[in-house]
Amino acid sequence: MLSFIGRRILIAIPTVLLISVFVFFMQKLLPGDPVLALAGEDRNPEILEFLREKYRLNDPLYVQYFTWIGNALQGDLGISLRTQQPVLTLIGQKLPVTIQLAVMALIIAIVIGVPAGIVSAYRKGTWVDWLANILALSGLSVPNFWLGIMLILLVSVKLGWLPASGYQPFLDDPLQSIRTMLMPAFVLGTGLAATLMRHTRSAMLGVLKSDYVRTARAKGLSETTVVVKHALRNALVPIVTVVTLLFGELLAGAVLTEQIFTIPGFGKLVVDAVFNRDYAVVQGIVLCTAIAFIAMNILADALYRVLNPRMRNS
Amino acid sequence: MTPDAPPLLEVRNLSIRVANARSNLVDDVSFSLQPGRTLCIVGESGCGKSQTALALMGLLASPPLSVTGGTALFNGRDLLSLPQAEKQRIRGDRMAMIFQEPMSSLNPVLRIGEQIAEAVRRHRGVSNSVARARALEMLEKVRIPAAGKRLDEFPHQLSGGMRQRAMIAMALANDPELLLADEPTTALDVTIQAQILDLMRTLQAELGTAMILITHDLGVVAEMADEVAVMYAGRIVEIGATQDIFDDPQHPYTIGLMSSMPALGRRSERLVTIPGRVPSATDMPDGCRFASRCPFRIGICARTPELSNPGGSHRVACWRAPIEETYLQPQEAQPA
Repeated sequence: MLSFIGRRILIAIPTVLLISVFVFFMQKLLPGDPVLALAGEDRNPEILEFLREKYRLNDPLYVQYFTWIGNALQGDLGISLRTQQPVLTLIGQKLPVTIQLAVMALIIAIVIGVPAGIVSAYRKGTWVDWLANILALSGLSVPNFWLGIMLILLVSVKLGWLPASGYQPFLDDPLQSIRTMLMPAFVLGTGLAATLMRHTRSAMLGVLKSDYVRTARAKGLSETTVVVKHALRNALVPIVTVVTLLFGELLAGAVLTEQIFTIPGFGKLVVDAVFNRDYAVVQGIVLCTAIAFIAMNILADALYRVLNPRMRNS
Repeated sequence: MTPDAPPLLEVRNLSIRVANARSNLVDDVSFSLQPGRTLCIVGESGCGKSQTALALMGLLASPPLSVTGGTALFNGRDLLSLPQAEKQRIRGDRMAMIFQEPMSSLNPVLRIGEQIAEAVRRHRGVSNSVARARALEMLEKVRIPAAGKRLDEFPHQLSGGMRQRAMIAMALANDPELLLADEPTTALDVTIQAQILDLMRTLQAELGTAMILITHDLGVVAEMADEVAVMYAGRIVEIGATQDIFDDPQHPYTIGLMSSMPALGRRSERLVTIPGRVPSATDMPDGCRFASRCPFRIGICARTPELSNPGGSHRVACWRAPIEETYLQPQEAQPA
């Protein structure tokens, strides 16, 4: 297993490099000038030229790229043009927030989505199935910003149960941290639960029809054992795929939800950076997100091998 | 045979229907089985033989299939009307079933040993280690080489014949009184088929298990059966002792089935086939269901024939039975 993961990480290195090239040059193709954005109203050509020199924007593109990637490999993703902070520091501040939000949202999505999918597959065509499907459709259709605002109105303003916004670092006060993050995680999680429910349902429908489920029943096992031990374990591969993909997506940030609940996460950072042409920050974030996606893919592949013994020898 | 002893299984008038169909998929099927004996149900695919077995196990794919009538007394209790919890207690314990596809019938993500042991734990309430020891004993009993190693292997690591042996071990782990085997050798190599049949016969003799063997292969029937029930389009058309049916088949379908079996020495001739095709499961004809393909059809065949004993040796559901040997020259059999 370890050698498998090691091999996968080695294979991922060229992928990450390719992405870095892509990100770097794509961004240079975008219209707009970071120096103009930085200088604001003051368009004095001398100042603009000074800034260009300072940030080495006059170098040939390939030189800029190699400077950047060379530094990145040493853990230096550059300096934000806007805030003058190291990009790595910015990411280091925002990433834990986003990871916490993603993990909580995903837990909520799994706790709701997987059992709902199992039940609706098992009771296919009954009112339970219909109800689960209607709820899933609503979960997918209701926009996050609307649900978020409604929740704030109800839970914070009217009932006063949870804070409407803000962020408390997890390590400072875990309980309070979870409390402040609960509503945004719920808003994100319900949407994902719908996706997860649909995938769980279709995976379970296939598995419940299989011969080995019939064999399990022929042994006289209880329906719970048949469904959980024999069916669900076989349906887990597609479910794990969806969960890891969703997690990767969540890591890229949930701009709207972060905005509504004023959470200082990745989403806001990336949007600000793009609008300000803060090249270094955008590049750093995209690179981090890409690495996170690749890591999730490796994790998914590793989980497949745990779940499916047929994949272990390949 | 001991006709005085109470039968282990007595099926009466079993009918199964597909939802919204006009007629029964399995219609009015009755047979009985003594302890330790083997009944073969033969017929072509789709004739309802598998559905009959699944109905006895309570494993019909429902919906769309459902039992619409009949009783199946197993040790005096009606399997068809038992509550779910009772059925679960009987199946896998007193009665067990093995299936046609040994690869897809074993759970790909569970180890062989666990798949056998869980049935033992479930019905005997024993500890993990006792159940595992029983699983090992069963694997040795079905003569799987290196049984101790196989316990911890997954189904994909076993060959087809080995998987079917594991299925048999699983089914027999709780010493059932009745084993239902649905085409257990059809998916296997011919050389392996003989081994598996041999194994089943040996174990049956050793354990005294009664068996319902479902097959389309008359060679298997001749090899294994004490009694034979020939099914056509959901009905039993002929039933009796194996010897009697092979010596003196009386239903035109049985006769057709037997003459369509290729034999040595007749290679120059074309294989005999039965003209026409099986009626669709959702739209069975009234009367004798074989009539449209039958060379001996007469007016009365529009009414459903009951099983009766016109020839004296066994029962057959045909208005024309017993059909005299002289009718059976190939040139007389004409397509319907």
